[in-house]
Amino acid sequence: MLFLFLITLLAGRLVYLQVWQSSRYTQLAQAQRLRPTAIDARRGSILDRNYKTLAVSAGAYAVYVLPHLTRDPVATAMKLAPYLAMSKAEIAQVLTDQKTNIWLTRKLPIETAKSIDALGLPGIRLLERPQRFYPQGTLAAQVLGIAGIDNQGLEGLEFYYNQYLQGTPGRLEKERDATQREIPGGIERLIPPTNGYDLILTIDSTIQYIAEREIESAVLNSNSDSGIILIVNPNTGEIYANAIYPTFDPNNYQSYPTENRRNVSVTDQYEPGSTFKIFTAASALDSGITTQERSFYSGRSWSVGGGAVRSWNGTGHGQISFLQAVENSDNITFAQLAVEMKPELFHPYLAKFGFGERMGIDYPGEGRGVLPKPGQIRHGELLQWANIGFGQGVAVTPLQLIMATAAVANGGALLRPYYVAEIRDERGKVIERTQPHTLAEPISQATSKEMLEILRSAVVNGSGGRAEIIGFHVAGKTGTAEVPEQGGYGDKRIASFVGFAPANDPAIVALVALHNPQTDVRFGGVLAAPVFQKVAEQTLEYLGIKRRKASTEQSIMTVVPNVRNFPLADARQSILQAGLQWSYENPGQIVIDQIPGPGSRVAPQTTINLYFYDEINPTIVTIPNLIGHSMRDASAILSEIGLRLRIIGSGMAHRQTPQPGTKVPVGSVIEVEFLR
Amino acid sequence: MFTKKGNPDLLVFTTVIVLLSIGIIMVFSASSVMGISDFRDPFHYVKRQSLWAVVGLFAMFFLARIDYRIYKALALPGILLSYVLLVLVLIIGQDIGGAKRWIDLGFFNLQPSEISKLAMVNFVAVYIANKREKLRLFWIGLCPILVILGLKFGLIMLEPDFGTAVAMSFTILVVLFAGGAHLGQLAGLGLAAIPGLMFLVFQKPYRMRRIMAFRDPWADPADTGWNIIQSLLAIGSGGLFGLGLGNSRQKFSYLPEHHTDFIFAILSEELGFIGAFMVAFLFFIFAWRGLRIALNAPDLYGTLLAIGITSMIGFQAMLNMGVVTGSLPVTGIPLPFISYGGASLMMSLASVGILLNISRQSKT
Repeated sequence: MLFLFLITLLAGRLVYLQVWQSSRYTQLAQAQRLRPTAIDARRGSILDRNYKTLAVSAGAYAVYVLPHLTRDPVATAMKLAPYLAMSKAEIAQVLTDQKTNIWLTRKLPIETAKSIDALGLPGIRLLERPQRFYPQGTLAAQVLGIAGIDNQGLEGLEFYYNQYLQGTPGRLEKERDATQREIPGGIERLIPPTNGYDLILTIDSTIQYIAEREIESAVLNSNSDSGIILIVNPNTGEIYANAIYPTFDPNNYQSYPTENRRNVSVTDQYEPGSTFKIFTAASALDSGITTQERSFYSGRSWSVGGGAVRSWNGTGHGQISFLQAVENSDNITFAQLAVEMKPELFHPYLAKFGFGERMGIDYPGEGRGVLPKPGQIRHGELLQWANIGFGQGVAVTPLQLIMATAAVANGGALLRPYYVAEIRDERGKVIERTQPHTLAEPISQATSKEMLEILRSAVVNGSGGRAEIIGFHVAGKTGTAEVPEQGGYGDKRIASFVGFAPANDPAIVALVALHNPQTDVRFGGVLAAPVFQKVAEQTLEYLGIKRRKASTEQSIMTVVPNVRNFPLADARQSILQAGLQWSYENPGQIVIDQIPGPGSRVAPQTTINLYFYDEINPTIVTIPNLIGHSMRDASAILSEIGLRLRIIGSGMAHRQTPQPGTKVPVGSVIEVEFLR
Repeated sequence: MFTKKGNPDLLVFTTVIVLLSIGIIMVFSASSVMGISDFRDPFHYVKRQSLWAVVGLFAMFFLARIDYRIYKALALPGILLSYVLLVLVLIIGQDIGGAKRWIDLGFFNLQPSEISKLAMVNFVAVYIANKREKLRLFWIGLCPILVILGLKFGLIMLEPDFGTAVAMSFTILVVLFAGGAHLGQLAGLGLAAIPGLMFLVFQKPYRMRRIMAFRDPWADPADTGWNIIQSLLAIGSGGLFGLGLGNSRQKFSYLPEHHTDFIFAILSEELGFIGAFMVAFLFFIFAWRGLRIALNAPDLYGTLLAIGITSMIGFQAMLNMGVVTGSLPVTGIPLPFISYGGASLMMSLASVGILLNISRQSKT
């Protein structure tokens, strides 16, 4: 019978569906009904080393609408309007829109949210959507970075540690019909969120605040484009302060230029200039190329490898010891040391100091810097390495410079710098703790100790005099880097000072750098060293480092104070306080040199002769005829007499401006057109 | 006119009453959610269904007492009336989802194709009973029926209502077979119908898509595959014993037509394999008893009419359950006695009334 046949088929089909495949279909059906709603995890906080809150996610609410549950849109809109930044008409428009659910507004404070909840309006729902808040405003802004509204880190530590900070969102699963309405009496499952971990930084808010205040006033006073101060613990690699001006407020980052958000101390590189001599000196001492006592001759310029190295003051320093070369920041001596070491010896030292490679700091976008490898430069390698000897032709990040200085200061260990000391869960249990990590050991402990004395001397007797703090012996090195522009060096400078204190047992290393200052005198010893002095003194005080008592030794002789780089008035006062006299021929603003020199022992009331920057007149030279010379020859001829070449075209020189025979100051640029 | 002979077939009667009761309970269970959301009344649909059940039962009891032989006279008028109605529905019919299948009479939605089916069965039964000896001759025997049937088929396809047209054709084929039509001719007819059906399928893209969706519902789960997937999910979640009466989840706007054409899916979900099989088995009993009535009918006309009515209801049930279980391509056809819908319920119960009358005049 046909019917019996059909009924059997049907029964078979039913058995297949309801017995054989039942669990599969049950699961599929449940999966389409159980639509999960995400429950946001609370983003972890960022705290400074003393558990002061720098970033926190505070409760904020979002209001959304379920249009099919709302009654009377106009009345609802009227009740809501006082609490929202929307007009009645706008709200009513949203309420009548037939979408399944619509956001009315976000970032609502808790109090407002509670008021709306109390209205008990049908179809109006509240959802907690925490908002990121930076209670210290601009403090350490570039380090913290920013986080977006959906709990994702976008920049800085917020980005780097996002996986730790964001936590795991939970889920609320409810059975819903095909139009998203909840099914009465349906299954309800709550999977609670795991809140994000907290970060405990190495940054100290107080030191950071001091640094930010000082860099701001230094940048403004010197009309610089920008400036940074970095302060680290040389014994651990902890970063105490990372101040950058101009800065921004992460609570309101949209209203600042994006370049203010860059943590340039980690991401950007620059040509370090004289501060780099620290590492040439350390390498040369450690490799035995020189001793403190070895004598060098510093003339106006020194020819090397088809080019010439010029002394920064245009005259040279004559016959000087290695120590004096450091004190006077003599380019020629350091060029000679670099040439003597050759790239094969010098490069490994610099590489071990961490240059040319990332340090692995816990921050996104770290720069590498530029350090040429031996044999990498095809033409004029020796000249190039001579330049590297005094900090030209290399590029470093401020972070590399300060950590290499820390290696000199701490006995020879290059440490990995870090921002995050600990990661804790919401109950305070430590999840991870950062340990100091030695990356390399570029120099011996003995060399380090010797360098402490030498760099101390650079402050006591050399260009870094204005960094000195009474009672805290400062050691360090000034730098006045020329900013490379296309084809050569332009007029821009970076005035910097890197140093540490106390010199015999360093507790902090600090770097001050001012970019493109617009003052008459733009030397690091003049602009950056006093900033170091202020920041370091306050920091050491805060850290509770004991000041040394003034020397008790009695002497009839008076020690001449270091007044180099001091303004005239300060220099006079300092000399008078020491019980000495002063004199000068032509008054100027800032002292460049003094005779007798700093540290000399003289009879009371001896007269100290002062000389000023204003007096240095660049030597006038006559421009030679370059027509018919090759590019290489023209370059060599000009650099021999201290002129600079701007090249146009290629081939042989056929025109030059100014004309041959014109008298121009040393350092002037001669434009030469070359033709094939 | 009123017959006072034997008793009606109690088993058919009981089966229909049980199916009707299950239907009312299931319509309530399936439609209460929709009743609340659309009319704020969980009883909206079940009230209407119960009313039509009562009216239908009255019709059934009434027709059970009327001698079926008087319908012989209605053979030709019935056919003519159904033609008129089928044309009329194309003109004044309510357009629901692109199809014109109902004429709104205010209190009742008249479905001409339902009346048409019964009229056709009756006509064929009368025709064969009168001209049995000519039936085996193709041109003067079978052909007129095929012309009348073809015309109806065409009109119903214009609505369009593919499912009803096919169910009707199968019913008539069974009646012709039972009436002694030439088997070879019927087989040839079946073969000849295949290209025609193929043409009808390819002519409307949605029919093609439905057939593709039948082969693989998951190829287009959000559109053409939606109904059948949701139906399978409902049946599958039911398992052996079901989620319990009223506990269907798929009725929450997932399964469309869950109180009409797809009510068997909700029934399977709530009552499980046990419930679903029981319903199928009840239809089997109905068919079995229906055929028994036909075999014992006092005359050839009664036999053919009983066969026609039985297979009309039986085929429709099989077609519906086949569609709902994903065994046949989707076509909109209600489950007799159970699906929500007054017109269909009325016609089914009235037909059963005629069947019961035939059983009362049984030879044995």
